[in-house]
Amino acid sequence: MRQSTIAPRASVFGLGNVLLGDDAFGPFTIEIFRSQFQCGPAIEIMDLGTPGLDLAPYLYGRNFVILVDSVKADGEPGTVRVYRESDLSECAAQLRVTDHDPGLLESIAHLRLLGHAPVELAIIGVIPESCLFGAGLSSKIDAAVAVAMDQIVRILIEQGVDCKPRSQPLRPKLWWNPIAPSILESLVGCTPVRDSLRLVDRYENGKHGNENGGAISF
Amino acid sequence: MARISIDPITRIEGHLRIDVEVDSGSVQKAWASCTMWRGIETILKGRDAREGWLFAQRFCGVCTTVHAMASVRAVEDALQLEIPPNAQYIRNLILIAHALHDHIVHFYHLSALDWVDITTIPKANPARAAAIADGVSSWPGNSHRELEAVQNKVKGLVGSGQLGIFAHGYWGHPAMRLSPEINLILFAHYLQALEFQRKACQVVGILGGKTPHIQNLAVGGVMNAINLNSLATMNMDRLGMLQSLLQEMMPFVEQAYFVDACFLAASYPEWFRYGRGVANYLAVPDLPVDGKATRFDLPGGVITNGNLSSVRPINDWHDQAIRGAVAEDVTHAWYQGKGLQPPWQGKTDPDYTDFRENGKYSWVKAPRYDGAPMQVGPLSNILVGYASGHALTRKWTDLAFKQIAASGAHITINDMQSTMGRYLARAIRSAMLSELALQHWQLLSDNILKGDEATYNPPVFPQQEIVGAGLHEAPRGTLSHWVVIDKGTFSNYQAVVPTTWNASPRDEKGAPGPYESSLVGNPVANAESPLEVLRTVHSFDPCMACACHTLDASGRRIAQVKVL
Repeated sequence: MRQSTIAPRASVFGLGNVLLGDDAFGPFTIEIFRSQFQCGPAIEIMDLGTPGLDLAPYLYGRNFVILVDSVKADGEPGTVRVYRESDLSECAAQLRVTDHDPGLLESIAHLRLLGHAPVELAIIGVIPESCLFGAGLSSKIDAAVAVAMDQIVRILIEQGVDCKPRSQPLRPKLWWNPIAPSILESLVGCTPVRDSLRLVDRYENGKHGNENGGAISF
Repeated sequence: MARISIDPITRIEGHLRIDVEVDSGSVQKAWASCTMWRGIETILKGRDAREGWLFAQRFCGVCTTVHAMASVRAVEDALQLEIPPNAQYIRNLILIAHALHDHIVHFYHLSALDWVDITTIPKANPARAAAIADGVSSWPGNSHRELEAVQNKVKGLVGSGQLGIFAHGYWGHPAMRLSPEINLILFAHYLQALEFQRKACQVVGILGGKTPHIQNLAVGGVMNAINLNSLATMNMDRLGMLQSLLQEMMPFVEQAYFVDACFLAASYPEWFRYGRGVANYLAVPDLPVDGKATRFDLPGGVITNGNLSSVRPINDWHDQAIRGAVAEDVTHAWYQGKGLQPPWQGKTDPDYTDFRENGKYSWVKAPRYDGAPMQVGPLSNILVGYASGHALTRKWTDLAFKQIAASGAHITINDMQSTMGRYLARAIRSAMLSELALQHWQLLSDNILKGDEATYNPPVFPQQEIVGAGLHEAPRGTLSHWVVIDKGTFSNYQAVVPTTWNASPRDEKGAPGPYESSLVGNPVANAESPLEVLRTVHSFDPCMACACHTLDASGRRIAQVKVL
């Protein structure tokens, strides 16, 4: 079968719904990470949203995968925990009612049976405070972004991946966030921007808007 | 009398909760409840109408593209804006790839294990299984060696006693009846389906620029640049790549999925007698073949009271009847308001009580068509197409009946109004889509080779208020986004999603929704293991909480079955 590309050396994936309060933690953190750190070309950084069972194609044949996600666990909101695959295998098997139930365990198990599971997996999870539509990250979760980003960097360096701070941080593409929270200022020294995508500006310049700022990449 | 409640209690956000009353081994009454407040639409109010689709596609992490598509269609409808044929075909190919992906995940990964008992697989004879499959299918993944390899993997799982993610299955349940060989074949395809998913993702990625969450849409068309002489745009290479992917996807759909659905139907013919439920069906036309969207490859229509000869066609998206007929009732939903509200005037003001079976008990509103509950989904597609003489629908439906008849079960189009009918209809629809994929690829390449490179007509927003409806026949059924736009900004936005139709609670008149009525009369052999209830609920492919998600690392069960 066709292999579209050679598998990246490491994959950093954000999981979660950007519109659902603290559930945006994964996509938010990886976007801040991307804007702050320069990694070699063999690293892929992607917001996968909430794919449920559709996670499998994105984990297929990968080498080292870091997932950043909100997790349900005992502890204070804002606590960051790092899990390895073996920690999750002890989770009870789950009765699936809809295909929106998180599909991480199933996806990994399916890929293991096929022989195409990621070589290694780390999950950086935050305990959320509140996941309400349109709410944005809550204040307790703000501080966790920096902690989680440190963990990403630490794990990548352990893996021997070239990963260093950018001399000129990029403007993070937090298109869903009409007002970037204080975290942007404190953490990245970036002025919060209203509507980071500036969709309206681009329309007025006769171009189209999307999450990438207009470009569609093949 | 036993009362069973199936509830994903440990989730931070809620999901689908099903309550049934069982007496003498069958369901007497049922309630479907969504335990999470959706209210997604409120996020769209006040936003630029050109960027609504970006947010709409985040309603749901699984059905991303369908909401994006319905959103741009709604704005284009309000503007009466045509889109170029290339844009139509590119959108159609994305929708087809997404739908095939979705149907296959549903069949194998969400619901197959309601019917397939993997613990019997070690007893299968792989040579016999290969011979059974060989008689009806040319799928190369059915070879003796391949099936033996899968069997060894399952032996490893079962032998170790560590079933892992499969530990929750209702293994050994008396309602599980497939032979070890058929179980082996279906489970082999369950694993092989993952290779298929990757191809479907590649198609969406090539056209949409990114997957998940496509980036190529715009109100007025698509942003794909087409230039046969450029390496960076849609060119012959990319068209060729698309064509091979679509060709590679076809055999799995037609020779594995379709055949497996027929095996399942032939092995469980009694499930054509359960789960009929609401026998009013709604489907909207989709896969337009011209820029103006006057002709479609998938027909739409309305059927009432299970009477196929009553079919009223919906010829295009301008159909006035549907615009006047759709309204939502909140008598039993946790919202304020009274009577039927058309979506353009729809409000989403919460009014939460606890679960009250005679009062309010769900976050899902009750959509009604001319005051009646409707069933939506692949079954509605197939019934409407069959009833209106649509050739492609008839071809695949009749082929399915023939394959099932070869095993001794005789099924007619009326038997399709059932739990098993919904499974089979999804497979029939997939076979149709797989054929249509290549036709729409051909339409796109012919049009490009003709020299047409247009993909976008710019929208111009008037100063006065305008309204629009964006219709899409999504994998789970009719999806409609209803928008009110004032000077380029949304002043109201309501999405009536397929699961709202199917998981609808009762209405003012007490009429139950499709999930609820389809469960009545379902057998339940063992209240502690209500497998039969899950079979009927899963036949609708529930997509409840549009976009809620949190990984559960606490190790607790995600759903609980309580016998009260």
